[in-house]
Formats: sequence, structure tokens, C-alpha cells
Amino acid sequence: MAKRKGTTEQSQNKVKKLKKSRSLSKKVPRERNSTSTSTEGLLKKRKWINKTRVLIFCSRGISYRGRHLMNDLRRLMPHSKPDVKMEKKDGLFLVNEICEIKNCNKVIYFEAKKKKDLYMWIANSPNGPSAKFLIENLHTMDELKMTGNCLKGSRPILSFDSSFGGEPHYALLKEVFTQIFSTPYHHPKSQPFVDHVYTFSVGDNRIWFRNYQIVEEDGSLAEVGPRFVLNLIKIFGGSFIGPTLYENPHYKSPNEQRRDLKREASLRYQNRIQSKAVLDQRREQSKDTSYKMDTTDEVFFTIKPEDAEGLAKSTFYRKK
Amino acid sequence: MADYDEESVSELESYDSDDELQSAFNKGELKPGLNYQTRAPKQYTNNTVAIDEKLNSIQSNLDWIERVDITLESKNTNNETDAVTDDDNDDLMHNDFKRELKFYQQAQSAVLVALPRIRKLGILTKRPDDYFAEMAKSDEHMRKVRQKLLGKQLAMERSEKAKKLRELRKYGKQVQREVLQKRQKEKKELLDSVKKFRKGQKDKLEFANRNIEAPSNFKGKPKKISQPQGKPKPNPKRVYKDQKFGLGGSKKRSKSNTADSAANVSDFKSSKHSYGTGPKFNRRNTNKKKNRRHGKIRREKTRVKARR
Repeated sequence: MAKRKGTTEQSQNKVKKLKKSRSLSKKVPRERNSTSTSTEGLLKKRKWINKTRVLIFCSRGISYRGRHLMNDLRRLMPHSKPDVKMEKKDGLFLVNEICEIKNCNKVIYFEAKKKKDLYMWIANSPNGPSAKFLIENLHTMDELKMTGNCLKGSRPILSFDSSFGGEPHYALLKEVFTQIFSTPYHHPKSQPFVDHVYTFSVGDNRIWFRNYQIVEEDGSLAEVGPRFVLNLIKIFGGSFIGPTLYENPHYKSPNEQRRDLKREASLRYQNRIQSKAVLDQRREQSKDTSYKMDTTDEVFFTIKPEDAEGLAKSTFYRKK
Repeated sequence: MADYDEESVSELESYDSDDELQSAFNKGELKPGLNYQTRAPKQYTNNTVAIDEKLNSIQSNLDWIERVDITLESKNTNNETDAVTDDDNDDLMHNDFKRELKFYQQAQSAVLVALPRIRKLGILTKRPDDYFAEMAKSDEHMRKVRQKLLGKQLAMERSEKAKKLRELRKYGKQVQREVLQKRQKEKKELLDSVKKFRKGQKDKLEFANRNIEAPSNFKGKPKKISQPQGKPKPNPKRVYKDQKFGLGGSKKRSKSNTADSAANVSDFKSSKHSYGTGPKFNRRNTNKKKNRRHGKIRREKTRVKARR
């Protein structure tokens, strides 16, 4: 733990240094003309109630795409805090301690596995809930096809699909998402304008995330990015611990997916040979003997219940 | 499929009770491989009560403006359409364009609901034009984006232009072909009418009535018309061929040599068949002085001498 503290202190120093060295390309002038007195007024009366801080960090072995996504989220969320990459062997529960050290009550933790699979944990730090997702179809903000742009710390509108009002686990996820992704009002690092929308929509048993810039107030949008798909795995009662509240029945782990693909590929040859043999056999049979069958003969035809397949299962079964 | 746990054997329908099974086993009716145990289907947890509890415990009582979230109400609630929409949904999720459109529309409707609500709270939504601040994407990045967009637009314009040009060329060709065909047709008609007139099938030329200018345009033919009419001349090519290959009569011995043909040496040209005469040699003799270049061996000999 002491070692861990050391590392976090180092990272804090790093952050401070970065802050010093980083200079805004276009600073907000302190004194402004009469044209924008209203904004000045807003800036003056700061009422920062919601002190949510979100820790955004990742495990070691994250791919560059995952890292870019993490950095995008950090850039978009002024209430986020960074931390150094975590050793995977440390165990997930350590995340809670890091949160405590970093003064954060929400976490987004990116966990990389096998150098190719990216998982995302979101959690309310001290006492849950937490959810684990698999990230699929990831596109970062750096991609040139995303043409929109928004202010660095502006507050987003969070838009949720109608299905987030339905099932309880979606309702819970919605609450967690809003608490994590909505920038607190009057946050010192935030801009006082609303110029982008995060959309969370459910489709194909997954949650799709998009970020749009509000170009005109009549509703024309341009995508800023990042975009990704969250495939829910589990929801836990505690933060990185606790009872499982929900388990996604549609979830198939990437390992399983890859295994299935391989198996299918390996069976392709066998299937072909087998089907050919069966076809030959059938041809051979039907060549010389084709006669009319009495359909009622089927009544006397029985098979072992173990051999029954498909519809036959309902006909041939062992009485209990 | 066939579990023989104690729990699964019910009291009412104890067909395969333990005793019976044992007796069957003793008789040898049960064989290995006849029955096997399957894995129970996986149970997926969905503890709705605990989830609701958790939700209640974490819900904060902050104002809406702290969260700015919009949940859209579902449009179709009746179950009958659900099956259809499920199918549609699947299709929608696999069609990139439709899916993105759906997300876009969702975002749009959220904006249209949220912005007036925010404005009602007396909060600015749009930043003034003179308010500069750091953006999420750097200027450098946006320049790249713009460049790419421009490039795309240019490429599109270029392809459009090329397409138009191609179409135009096609159209032009068609027009040209039509004109040529029309001209040819007119010419043919004219010739036909002239022919008919010449044969005396027609009293007068139609084109003369139809178009007075036609004869003046048509310079070559009227002369022929004015020529005296008799039997048309046979085709000279035909005549020559008839002469060469023979027309009528027996062809059997016509091509074999006769005494006369063998004695006929008028075709023989001595200049062609004797060496040292003929045009080639004559020319050489006359131009002898002009050609000063010796043969190769002699030339080489002289070269060697010169070097020494």
C-alpha cells in the first residue's frame, strides 16, 4: 500500500507539472466588455454543490485505442481525475483505495485483457453499485470522420433511450451513468454552456454511446466522438465486490466468440465430408428401391429418447 | 435430458424410482450410455428487488440542472407491435445508416426537449461569438478534419464532372449516329426513286416535286440519267472473271496444256532469268563510279595497313 501511495503522489506531482506547463491556446479573458456581462455574472456566482469526481484510469497492457478512449473521456469530463496505470496483479478491490486517496467517489476503470479485449468498469466508489462491460466497436475522438467539436469543459445533455426507463437494471445503469457523465453545475473547470449531447441507447442487448455537438439550437448535430458499444456483463452490489445483482444472459465473452469461430472453421471440412457421404448413401438407397410407404407405419417406429432431436424430443421421452 | 436425481423424481409419477432402477439394473436392462447426465441450464441472476433497493439508495436529490438528463418515452407500448419491432430492431442495429440515424434522432429530440428547459431556468446555452476557450479537439485536428472533408467534396465533384462528361459524350455520339443514319436513308430513298424513274416505273421524280433544290445538290447523277438508255453495261469485273475462268462450255480440258500453249514463250523475259543482265546489273554498271566503297576484306586490309 505504501508503494502504491508513492506512485500516486508521483502522479499528482506529474499532474501539477503538467498543469503548469500547459497553457491554454486561447484563454478566457478575465475582464470582458459589456457584450458578455451575462456570462461574467454566471462565472461570478459560483455555486458548486455537486462535488462528484470521477477517477478515470486503466490497467497495464491497454491497447492504444483503449488509451485514446480514456484520454478522450478525461478531456471531455472536467470533473475527472487521472491516475497511473494499475498493475493487474494488484486486484480490483485496490481501486477503491485509490479512489479514496484521489478523493473520488466515481470510477471508470478500463481493464485490458490479452492485449486485445477491453473491459470497462463503472462504479460508485465506496459502496456500489458497480458494473462491468465489454467494450466493442470503439472509435475515438481522433478519427477524422467525426466532424464536430465542442468546448473542452462544457456540460453535456444526457439523452437516454426509452428502454432505460423500463427494466430495473437499465434504470440503475441510467442513474450511474448520469451521476458519472454529467458535469456538475458550476464546476470550476467546466464551461457554463451546453453544446454537446451524450446519447445512450439500447439495441441488440448492448448500450451504444454517442457524443454529438449541438451545431444549431434547432437540433442540427455533428458527431464529436468517441463512440463505443457497451456490452453489459454483470452488475455488482458493491464497488468491485459484493453480490451479483444482474447478469446478462446474452453476453458471450470474446474468448467464447473466438472459440466458436475456430470450432466452426474446424468443423467445416468434417461437415462437408459427412454431408457428401450422406448424400451418396441416399442416392444409393433411392436408386433401386423406391416404393410407397404406409404413413401409419410410422406409429411403430420408435427410437431411443437420447437419439431424439428437435421435434422428436417431444414424442420420444422417458417417463419419470 | 434424463436426470435421475432424488429431487427430480416426483412422488406422483415415480416410474423410475430408485428401487425400480436398481431392479432394472440387476436385470441388465440398464446399460451404460443409455442415460447420461446433462448440465443444468445456467441460471442468470436478475435480482430486481436488490437492484431497486440499490437504485433508491444511490439516487441523489440534486436539481435537474445538475444532471441534465433526458429519458425519451417509448412510442409504442402495445404488445402486438412488439414482435414486429423486435425484428425491425435487429435489422436496424445491423444497418449502419439506419442505426446512426436512430441515435441522431434520439439526440436531436433530447436537445429539443432539454434546451428550452435549460433556458427556462435562466441559463445560457449558446456561447457568445466572442467567447473563446479551449476546445475538445485542437485547431490542428480540426484543420485536418476540414482538409479531409474538402478532399472528399473535391473527389465527389470530380467524379460527378467525369460522369456528366461521359454522359454528354454518349449523347453526342448518339446524335451523330442518328444524323448519319438519316442522311444515309435520304440518299438511299433518292437513289431508289432515281432507279425507278430510270426504269420507267415512275412518271416523274418524286424528289423533284418535294424538294426543288435536290437536283442542284445532287450533281453527279443527273448526267447519268440523261445518258441514252439501252441495255445496261455488264459489270467489268464480271467480264474479266468470265474471261479468266471461263463462262459456259466444258472446263475439263480447257486448262491443260496444248501444243500451242507449250510453244508459246512470249511470257518469257530473258532479263528476268539470266544473271548479269537485267535492271539490277544495268544500274550497277552505270553507277559504278559512284560506289567507291570496297568489300569488307579489302577495307580491313587497308585499315591494317594504315595503322602500321
